[in-house]
Amino acid sequence: MTTQYKKGVLELCVLSLLKKRDCYGYELSEYLSGHIDIAAGTVYPILRKLKSEGLLTTYVQEDSGGPPRKYYSLTNFGRETYEKQRAEYLAFAQKVESLLEEDSNDKE
Amino acid sequence: MTRNEFIAKLSEVLKKLSIPDAEEIINEYEQHFAFKMADGYSEEEIAAKLGDPVALASQFQSEGKKHGGRKITAVIGLGFIDIFAGMFFVLLLAWEAVMAVFSLSTAVVALCLLVGTNPGSLLPPMPYGIAIVFALSLAALAVLAAVGAIYFAAFIRQLMRSYGRFHKNTLDAASGRAPLPSLPIYPRLPGKANRALRFVALVSLALFTATFVLGAVLSMLISGSLEFWHAWGWFGY
Repeated sequence: MTTQYKKGVLELCVLSLLKKRDCYGYELSEYLSGHIDIAAGTVYPILRKLKSEGLLTTYVQEDSGGPPRKYYSLTNFGRETYEKQRAEYLAFAQKVESLLEEDSNDKE
Repeated sequence: MTRNEFIAKLSEVLKKLSIPDAEEIINEYEQHFAFKMADGYSEEEIAAKLGDPVALASQFQSEGKKHGGRKITAVIGLGFIDIFAGMFFVLLLAWEAVMAVFSLSTAVVALCLLVGTNPGSLLPPMPYGIAIVFALSLAALAVLAAVGAIYFAAFIRQLMRSYGRFHKNTLDAASGRAPLPSLPIYPRLPGKANRALRFVALVSLALFTATFVLGAVLSMLISGSLEFWHAWGWFGY
């Protein structure tokens, strides 16, 4: 898969994770690089891009004993954008899937 | 690559690309190292998993900024080229018009000679037999010029299309879109049309040459003078 293609989907994944709860950068990086084959470092540029587009905000919180951590949180705009893009992606993926399945039926 | 090497490379490239809040970005990666090292990973392992710091740093560039400067340069440069290209195309179109008018007026003169009319006494006097030969000659010349005009029109059209594609591609490349393949500047007429045009051009050239020489020789014989135009008073003396 090309990196350009992955990047767009990764943005959606980040928004999805942040919809459940606020996370710090490392958590997101760990989770995504554990599930999808990407370099762990690429999550940080995505977070920054989403923040500059106004989809995310950050706040700093000190956890017990640890250093202060920067948490990412969805804005209202981010939530709306996520719902819209999610619907778009699912519809798109469904079409692609049915198309690819037709192809495999032909061969059998 | 150790932690320090990774961070040094990252901050170097971030600085070179003048990305704002570089410290914040570096801090994020330092924390990543700290978390991973607490889990017992080696610095090399972590750096390898993070990816190439040069590639990562460039991913922090915003899309608009990446191409902004280049786009302005491209637009200004194209503006200048457009002015010169525009003047060039005007010249080419003027030449096309000259060829078309030449072809048409030659055809009209040929017709007048053939019919035997002499509107406004513009045509030089000559016996009708000679007029027919010269009419044939001029008709052939008109056809030859028409073929030339058709070829040249196809050439201008293709050149304009090619330039248009270049124009579009330059702008596309400057704003990061993929360019289309460039177009050749010479026209590619269909083989049949090409052969037909060439045949017509050759026949009309041969006919023009033959009838022109024939007309001149006959004129000399009939008028009894090598300078038959003087004998018939073409130029008033």
